[in-house]
Amino acid sequence: MPTVILLDVSLSMSRPVPSSDSTENHTRLTIASAAINTFLDYLCVHSKLEYVALVTFSSTYEVTIPFTREYDNIRAKLPHLEEGDKTCIETAFIGVNQLILNEWGYQTPMQIILITDGSIGTGQIGRNRIIQALPLPPTYPVRINVLPVVAPNDQSLQQAIPLYQKIIDLASNTNSTISNTSRGAIYSPDTLNVPGVITAMTRLCEQQYQEFWCSLKCGQLEARVQLFPAPTPASHDGVSATYTISNQLHVIGFISQQDLGTPIALSKHLVIPQAQTNNNTNRENYDTKTPTKEGSSTDGSTDEENISDPSKVPNFCVLLHGALKVESMAAVVQLGVDWWGTLSAWCEAARARRSCLLLSVLRPGTSAAPWLGALDQLGPIDETTTNPESFPIRSWRSYSGGGSGCAWARPHALLADVQKVLRHARKLPDKTQHLYKELNRLRRAAISLGFSELLTCVGGALERECASLGGSAPPECALQLAHAAAALRDPRTALDIKHTLQPLATEFTVSSMSH
Amino acid sequence: MFPTNHKTIFVLDHTPYFGISSDFPIDFDVSKSRGAGYVPLPPICKSLWTCSVEASVEYCRIVWDLFPEGKLVRFIVSDAAAHILNTWALAQQNLTHILNGLCLVGPVRRGAGGDVVGLCAAIESLAEASPIQSSRPSTERLFQNRGRIICITSARDDDSIRSLAEIALNTLVQQNKKASAAQPPTTTDASTSTQSLVVHYCHLVIINVTPEKAETRVNNQPLTEMGGGLMGVEVIVCRASTLANLLGKLVLPHYRLAITTVTGIPMKEEQNASSSANYDVEIIHSAEAHAGLRASQTAAEATESVVLRWWTPRGAEGGAGGCNGPLWRVTPADVASRPSACLVNFLLNGRSVTLEVPTRKAGCRSASHVLAAQGGELWIGALGGRTPYEDPPALSEGAGGRVTDYRIKEFGALMQQNKIHPLRGIGSNTRARTKLQRHTTYWPLTISSTLIFNLGSVMEPLTRLVVQESLTEDEVETCRGVLLSLLGMETRHEFPSAQLPANLRGKSSGRREEQWRQVWGELEALVRAHSNSSPHRALLRTLLECRSHNHSNEGESSRATVIRATTDSPLSPVGAGNGNGDVWAPRNALDALLGAPRPPRRPDFAGRLTAGNRIATLYPQMQQDVETQN
Repeated sequence: MPTVILLDVSLSMSRPVPSSDSTENHTRLTIASAAINTFLDYLCVHSKLEYVALVTFSSTYEVTIPFTREYDNIRAKLPHLEEGDKTCIETAFIGVNQLILNEWGYQTPMQIILITDGSIGTGQIGRNRIIQALPLPPTYPVRINVLPVVAPNDQSLQQAIPLYQKIIDLASNTNSTISNTSRGAIYSPDTLNVPGVITAMTRLCEQQYQEFWCSLKCGQLEARVQLFPAPTPASHDGVSATYTISNQLHVIGFISQQDLGTPIALSKHLVIPQAQTNNNTNRENYDTKTPTKEGSSTDGSTDEENISDPSKVPNFCVLLHGALKVESMAAVVQLGVDWWGTLSAWCEAARARRSCLLLSVLRPGTSAAPWLGALDQLGPIDETTTNPESFPIRSWRSYSGGGSGCAWARPHALLADVQKVLRHARKLPDKTQHLYKELNRLRRAAISLGFSELLTCVGGALERECASLGGSAPPECALQLAHAAAALRDPRTALDIKHTLQPLATEFTVSSMSH
Repeated sequence: MFPTNHKTIFVLDHTPYFGISSDFPIDFDVSKSRGAGYVPLPPICKSLWTCSVEASVEYCRIVWDLFPEGKLVRFIVSDAAAHILNTWALAQQNLTHILNGLCLVGPVRRGAGGDVVGLCAAIESLAEASPIQSSRPSTERLFQNRGRIICITSARDDDSIRSLAEIALNTLVQQNKKASAAQPPTTTDASTSTQSLVVHYCHLVIINVTPEKAETRVNNQPLTEMGGGLMGVEVIVCRASTLANLLGKLVLPHYRLAITTVTGIPMKEEQNASSSANYDVEIIHSAEAHAGLRASQTAAEATESVVLRWWTPRGAEGGAGGCNGPLWRVTPADVASRPSACLVNFLLNGRSVTLEVPTRKAGCRSASHVLAAQGGELWIGALGGRTPYEDPPALSEGAGGRVTDYRIKEFGALMQQNKIHPLRGIGSNTRARTKLQRHTTYWPLTISSTLIFNLGSVMEPLTRLVVQESLTEDEVETCRGVLLSLLGMETRHEFPSAQLPANLRGKSSGRREEQWRQVWGELEALVRAHSNSSPHRALLRTLLECRSHNHSNEGESSRATVIRATTDSPLSPVGAGNGNGDVWAPRNALDALLGAPRPPRRPDFAGRLTAGNRIATLYPQMQQDVETQN
């Protein structure tokens, strides 16, 4: 989740922090900078792909560093921040909202870390006024964490805590429908010094920035992968249970990209293969894999040079990606109970050569892609399977009220239906069945709308067709048209919904064919 | 908890007045005149009744298309009596049920009566609990029970409208009195669904319908509160011919919906299939879908239909692929039109389409929404700005990224063999996984790490057949043939790499014996991994025979056993061959299911690792010890 660090640079942040060690002069701002550095260090190790922006605020706000993965830019900026005047949290949030909506739209889950000094500069009435003015909940899903750089027993903190709590609460009940993000929290340091704040920040990181590891399995082939961004549990409309992605993703099988189409994904995640140590590159699928995090695999215990360089150890993910791309296929993956996703090779339109493996998490449930049928019934065909169905599976449910065909509120729809009847009427006797089918449909709709005028009119039109028949027309045509017209206007059955018009049983069929 | 739009009731006036014509003629002979003597059809007019039915049915269609549950609509036809067409039960909340009911009601008949009966019945119906409301435990019965009544009628003047509203309010007050009086005793057994609820708010929309040219003395009246906020009354005057339009507009604020006009949809002409023309289709969906556009819109623009341009999907690019946000159901505004039907079918077939904001600037496109089908329904999703996973790290820099000889083509073939299809019955997924498990039991990732899979036609029958669940006698025989021909090659002192394609030949180094040892080793691993069925085990025995022969010195006796073993019947019991001590196979079904037919691995001899291809020396320290002593 992209993160905004919202840093208070008001004058109160420049207050020096009393410390026993006279060699170091810290202000609240320098302590806050240490916390930010801790945060960036953590990301470097665990979540290098996270985008981070630095927004500073006092009575105004400034996007000091826009969203970036170059954390050094932020580090470099920290010592050179300009002091502002007074803390104005509501203005800051207006700015953050604007920044996020412009850059990420209103669907990407975000995180905000508010770093301030725990003094809001007002009493209770002022606090309520601030709460009123807060532009929260935002229209995008967000989790807000607060890190007050303040001693735990500070008087002003007691004043500020309700405000911070309100901010966190407001953020979590965003009206966005994706809101599966868990809540943020207040991380108060135990002591007001650099180690205390670093501990608080580390706690924040560990709780809110967990990376997601799992193993991707395809039969006996397996690779340890990281999903980025970390997937959040999903919920299904109507079902209260939430779905969590299991830590083993099983490939069920493969399907051509064309058959798969583009089912709508709840979220998408990069699948990043992780280095794995192997004693024997020859048969890695026999060996137990010990997942390692970056850097730790280079312990150099083996003398083969390949092992020390993870990029030279064959990895199943890379193979899978290559094959998916070449065959333009996708893999269907089981994510958990009753939950599926698809894996495909994906590349940004702008950077066609940099392709990667992307996991699309589908809606939980078997019907996430109806044209594939029930997802739990996807299986391999073997010799015993007789004429298997093919994709796409037709939906059993016709759209829009079962197509009862009486959407005649707009004249063109009515015209089209009447013209259809007349077209069939002109192509008798071939279209006799069609004519009666359409007539019955029209009749049914007209009766339910109480539109008897229409039936009279269509009866008249059929008689006119009958009259304009040429001499060469088979006699059956005239008989059928006259029969249909009369049946439409028969007072006994005209408004009886249960009555169906039947073609006239005629012996002329045979004789007309013998001509 | 329950918004006003949870319950809606249509009260349709079925009195004789509604039998009169709307005076809005529809001409059927629009286009071609078919020569002289062709009598044109007289144009026809719908009755007021037909107009009000089709408009209200269309309103319902939109509601039910977009909200399959949770938004309920009922119909009450009012003449001398109130005809209640459906209940709140979900089974009766569909168009078919309503249309059948309307058939039974039939066209307007003569007789007395008015809309008052229907309106009173409607208020009583509001007090009935909907299935969701009655499913609430009695302790949580404190929810707000609200609803809307849309009454389509025709009144003489403002006064009669006012008295209508007053009657409704009185009924409502009486009704609530009864309900709250009945409340205390029912708290003990609140499970009875017949219990009537207090109506907390009723939005009464009175639509006064008139024929085209008739004068009316009824005036529009904006929403006014009556009875201390118990009821809100709104009066709308409308010509019968525009009633459908009116209700089509009213449904938007009632359910917080918005319209998107998809413009520029290319469609083939029926007459002239080679050309295509562009069409527009209006679709209705939740207003929330436009939330992302509002930033760049004025308030007035947001209530109007938003025009978005069709962006023809190219390949797998774009489409719903880009959408990872919430989705809202979509229904066409004009369900009967051909362009709408085309769009719906296109989407239902599993294609999706991106919509873009039309901009005047050339070369600048911004995709804003995506339309796609899911579960037989149409959905719209908004496309966000950036994605958190954009600019991914290059795969070539990650783990395994610099290996260049992955067996991609072979894995492609494996994927083709493991294509999944829609099947019937449960366990299909499991079968697919078992099959994959079998196919990957021994599957080297790279070309350089295997010899046998590079040997092409010599080896192909065996590698293809051995992954099957079981083998027929003929297939075992084919595999034996492969083994024997390999044996033949080895005795002729051929290099196995001679079979490799020219570009690979240079890469496989090592001496001939070394190569053959790898071939046999790999073969053993492959066959052993599949030794679940008895034909497979027979094959494995043969292989072990060949191998042991290979490693012993060529002697007549061993050759004889090989020949005997290879002609062994596949049906002979396990252990009949003399290699039985070597054959390792799973003991029970569980082992087989777990798919772990692997020999337990012993750590490799440490000396061999350091020795590489040379012969490893045993106890090197002893040698060193002796040397240091000397």
